[in-house]
Amino acid sequence: MNVKTLVLLILGALLAAGGLVLRALARKFPEPAADAQKPEVRRYRRRKRLPAVLFWLGVWLSVTALISLLFGPSQREFSVEILPPLTSVLGLPVSSAVLTGFSVSGALILLAVLFRLFVFPRFTETPHGLQNVVELAVEWLSRYCRANLCRPLGENLAAYLFTVALYMIGCAAVELLGLRAPTSDILTTFAMALVTFFLINFYGIRSKGLGGRLRSMARPTPVIFPIKILTDVAVPVSLACRLFGNMLGGMIVMELLYFALGNAAFGAPAVLGLYFNVFHPLIQVFIFITLSLTFINEAIE
Amino acid sequence: MDLTPIGAALALLPAMGAGIMMGFATGKAVEAVARQPEASGKINSILLLGLALVESTAIYGFVTALIMLFVR
Repeated sequence: MNVKTLVLLILGALLAAGGLVLRALARKFPEPAADAQKPEVRRYRRRKRLPAVLFWLGVWLSVTALISLLFGPSQREFSVEILPPLTSVLGLPVSSAVLTGFSVSGALILLAVLFRLFVFPRFTETPHGLQNVVELAVEWLSRYCRANLCRPLGENLAAYLFTVALYMIGCAAVELLGLRAPTSDILTTFAMALVTFFLINFYGIRSKGLGGRLRSMARPTPVIFPIKILTDVAVPVSLACRLFGNMLGGMIVMELLYFALGNAAFGAPAVLGLYFNVFHPLIQVFIFITLSLTFINEAIE
Repeated sequence: MDLTPIGAALALLPAMGAGIMMGFATGKAVEAVARQPEASGKINSILLLGLALVESTAIYGFVTALIMLFVR
């Protein structure tokens, strides 16, 4: 057991050293074929890439072996909890998702205040730098809202959707720090879905009146009325379950990867984390926004 | 005999259907874009909406299976 890890450590160190030496050699004797035919260039590039791959493989192997030498074999057990663990705050049992959720909200509010105080006054007529990014995001969302609604509802809806988007992205980013994302708790997602449900009914009643909204539910025949009510009630449930299931699924896949790699879970999970903690939440944000807009549009048209 | 794992596996059947049908939908969207490339933006958003709705069935099955396996 110990001999094996020692051999692995030495092998990794040798690989890393070999990669470094190869790299130094490639630096010292550069290939002259800069303007040669295509195969030459490709071989040159591959020769340049090989030392880096060797080096990082060696580093990965030796760090893995070093960890198992220092701390022994991996003790991680695979366990999934559907509900986040409870912690106690001032003697009250509080779900940890609440704490991280409030931290994310606080961080976002702080960010907004900082933006208002330090970034907005520096905005110029011709945007550059950070202003480009901010304007791109805000303009895309408000244009998307205008394109998807059959009548204008003002900028408040776009502001709400932007807040939701930032909150969801922030929650997913918390998982990069090793905490559990608040959006993988069904109560958080259900709260967000309830706000959307409230907005659907608010805009529906505001644009058609209470009687109009009730009448529109009995539109083809009055027989369909209970079914329409059921469909409306199913909307927040489906929104909440979709977000929760996606986030929990991503978290479980990451946990499985950590469990399967054991001590070797060093550097490699970052690649999958890029998908599950950055790209996947962005898709979910887009879907949440699109579905909210679709349901609100259905209510007001 | 504990039949919970078999039940969880059965609850994951929607994932199969969702996978097949997402493939169908994406194929049709590709056909539509190939036929009319200038409408790709609209097709994209409709496709994503449809994929989200299809995916939700798989997600319901997944959540059900998880609850069956891990909630006692």
